[in-house]
Parts: sequence; structure tokens; C-alpha cells
Amino acid sequence: MQYISKYTGFASLLMALLSLSTSSCKKDSYALPVASDKLQNQAIKRTLGPNIVGQQIEFAYAMAILPSKGKLASCTAEASIAGAPGTYMENRSFHTEQTGADVGDTVGLPSVTNGTTTTVTYTVDTSAATLRYYYVIPEAARGKTVTIKFTATSSDGESISTTMGPYTIAQMDMKLNMKVSNDNMMYISIADSTVYNAADAATHAASIDLVYLYRNRPNSAFNHALVAPAADTQYLPDVTLPTGVNRTAKLRKTFNLQDHNLAPNEQYGGIFIDDIDFQQLDLTGSPNYAINLKQDAGVWVETADGKYRAYIFFNSVSNSSGSAVISMKRYTLK
Amino acid sequence: MKKNITIALAILMAAVTWASCKKDAPVDEDGLLITTRRDCYVSNFELLGTDFVSVRVGSADIDTTQQTIKVTVQFGTDLKNLYPQFTLAQDCKLDPKITGLTDFSDTLNPRKWTVISGDRNIRKPYSVIVSVQP
Repeated sequence: MQYISKYTGFASLLMALLSLSTSSCKKDSYALPVASDKLQNQAIKRTLGPNIVGQQIEFAYAMAILPSKGKLASCTAEASIAGAPGTYMENRSFHTEQTGADVGDTVGLPSVTNGTTTTVTYTVDTSAATLRYYYVIPEAARGKTVTIKFTATSSDGESISTTMGPYTIAQMDMKLNMKVSNDNMMYISIADSTVYNAADAATHAASIDLVYLYRNRPNSAFNHALVAPAADTQYLPDVTLPTGVNRTAKLRKTFNLQDHNLAPNEQYGGIFIDDIDFQQLDLTGSPNYAINLKQDAGVWVETADGKYRAYIFFNSVSNSSGSAVISMKRYTLK
Repeated sequence: MKKNITIALAILMAAVTWASCKKDAPVDEDGLLITTRRDCYVSNFELLGTDFVSVRVGSADIDTTQQTIKVTVQFGTDLKNLYPQFTLAQDCKLDPKITGLTDFSDTLNPRKWTVISGDRNIRKPYSVIVSVQP
């Protein structure tokens, strides 16, 4: 009798657990979400990587209202620091076609920029649109932070805003696609972000940091090279430096560091060099030459006066003409 | 019945006790397994530049009797900033450890590394002699 009682108790407990499991797995009934009857908005930043002066930051700003309540009236982007010339907002709302192409439908007048504010006024009866805003980073924003406040208004008098940022604007700057060539445009000034020929280098002697040269030596790999004027002459074969060109520099070779800003078309160019890379760069003990460079090679440089650090990337090289196309990111230390 | 359960439990406890008292495999101060292997040599050697590209010209000449590694590097190689890479016999380790860029510029006093066998009883110092291609 005692055993029967125990068995019954155990069975009851099991049943209770089973019924609890069943009830906890019961599917909740689904209800369609109810659209808000207010004016809605949302923004995303479309560009990646460091924010560099002269480059664009692209945003997509979406806004919508129930058609029964009204239509969109205007869209405004207000930057905390006025954008450089070229800052604008698209007056077309884009959609993606089946082919993958983005197609824009004009929804308003071309944007009007007045100081820090860029506005598009709607001219079509639409209750939803996504406009793109292109903020060209001005020199005034270098090293500072920028915020963008987007505001949408609707015909029923409603207004809604969202603020993006703050975004830190990089200290560094960038110079793309400088052509260097053997025995001609071969003197590189990091301070000026320019390449000079011998005659011009003589007039800018104090700012020449590097000499580009290409040598095809049968018994050793010299190839394309960046050499400080003060380097041992064995690294400047058959080079007669212009008067006064005598600075040194610290250089470190690297390879396949395909910065996406400097090499936007590279297949694996998903890397961005930012201010912090230059801040942490330590070229102590580095030589004043870098030889045997080729396409996709790069060189970290620090100028003799310690004023600049730079990364120079070889976008392309031509052994037949002894030339190369280089791009540079430069960070000012002092 | 009760007796059988007691016996089974006793056997189980004995097995658990034996397993927990089993001696761990010996490891050295680096946490590496000490084995019985007595091989102690360098089987391959590489030198990389700051761009992680080899700077060797030809393969390194490894003499396991003289315990030397002779390697010629390309013209213009920055000897102060190189990454050496050793391939060792199984279970060996290297002393000192390679932690980053290494200075080979003092060619009159070649840098030395000691290879230590898997049983940690044999130590063989190797000299790395670097020469630059003219």
C-alpha cells in the first residue's frame, strides 16, 4: 500500500511537469504591428573609414508619414561645421531595381545650402522618401568633431529630427595618384605633398624628403626605390642631387597594406590607415632608404625634422618606363 | 541486492580515484610538453624584412655539425630590422625566444640561438651568419 502511494505521488508530479512544459511552449497569437501615425525618420551613414578633409561623408535619410495624414514637405541637414563647397543633398529618392542598379526619382527641387544648412523642398506628392546627403569635410573641421542634424517636415505641420555623430575628422590628409618617373619627376616633398623635377627641386631643396628611382640591376634586386637624399650613395646610383637637396628621413617597407582610401580599386583594399596608426608608428632605428619596391608595396616615412609621418603606397609601377604612380597619406606631428 | 550495489559503488570510486591520481604529462617552464625526443637541430631558416617578405638570396646554409646558419640577403636589406624564423626538429624549442624585429647589423659578432631538445637535456647553440649580396 505504501509503494502504491509513492507511485501515485511520482506520477502526479510527472503529469504536472508535462502540463507546465506544454503550456510554456504554447504559441503566442500574432498581431500585425500598427504603423505609427506620426512622421517617422531614420538615418544611416553610408561611408566607411576615416573622415578626411576634402572627402565626402555620405548619409541616407529616410522619412515617411501616413498618406492619410499628409505628405512630405521638406528635408534639412544641419552640420555643426559648415560643409565645404560641393556639400549637397540629393533631390532624388533612390530605389534599387532588379538589376541591382540604384535609380533615382526626383521628388523635390535641387538642394539649397545656406551656411551650415542644406535643404530640399519637396515638389511631388509623396509620403515616403530617402534622400542622400553628401557632406564635404571642410578644412575648418580638421581634428574636430562634426554632427549632422536631419529634420523632416510634413504638410500637416509635423516635424521630426535625428542627429548623427559626432564624427571625428582626421588630422591627416591625402594626396592621390602622383606620377613619379626615373630621372625626371623624382623628388618628393612630403611637406608640400608634391613631386618635383630636378630644376624645381633645387628651388624647394629644404623640403625634399625622398628621391624616387628605378634601376634594373642584373645581379641584385633594386627595382623601384624611395631613398632619402642623405642616404649612402650606393642607394642613389648615378643620381646627381640638385644643390641643397640633402635631407634624411626614416623609412620602413611594407607590402600589401592596401589602404582603401589610397587604393580604392584594389581587390582586398578593405583596410583604412587612420590618425592613430601614425601616432603609434615608431620608426626608431629605421634606415633612410627603401629599395626593391613593387606594385602594392608601401613605405612608412618620418621626415628628418619630425614634423610629418606619411604612408606612401605604390598604386602601379612600370619597369619599362621606370615610373610609378604613388599615393600618400600624411599626418602632421608638430 | 544491497551488497551488489555497494560493490559497484566501491569499484566506481576506485576508478575515479585512480584517474584523478594519474600523473600529468611533464611540461617545462613555458608550458610546453617535455617528451623523450633527443633530436636537436635546425631544419630550416628564413629571414623576413619589415614587409614580411623574404630577404634571402638562395637558401640558408645550415651546418648541424658546426652549428652555423649562413644566409645571404639581398642588396639593401636593412639588417637592423629583420624577422628570423627557425624550423626545429620535433619537440625542440629555441632560446632566447624571438619576440619581434631582430638586429643582425653586427656581422662580426653573429647572433646566437640555442636549440633545446624535446627532452630538454640537449642544448645546441647555433650562430646565424648574415652576409649582404654585393
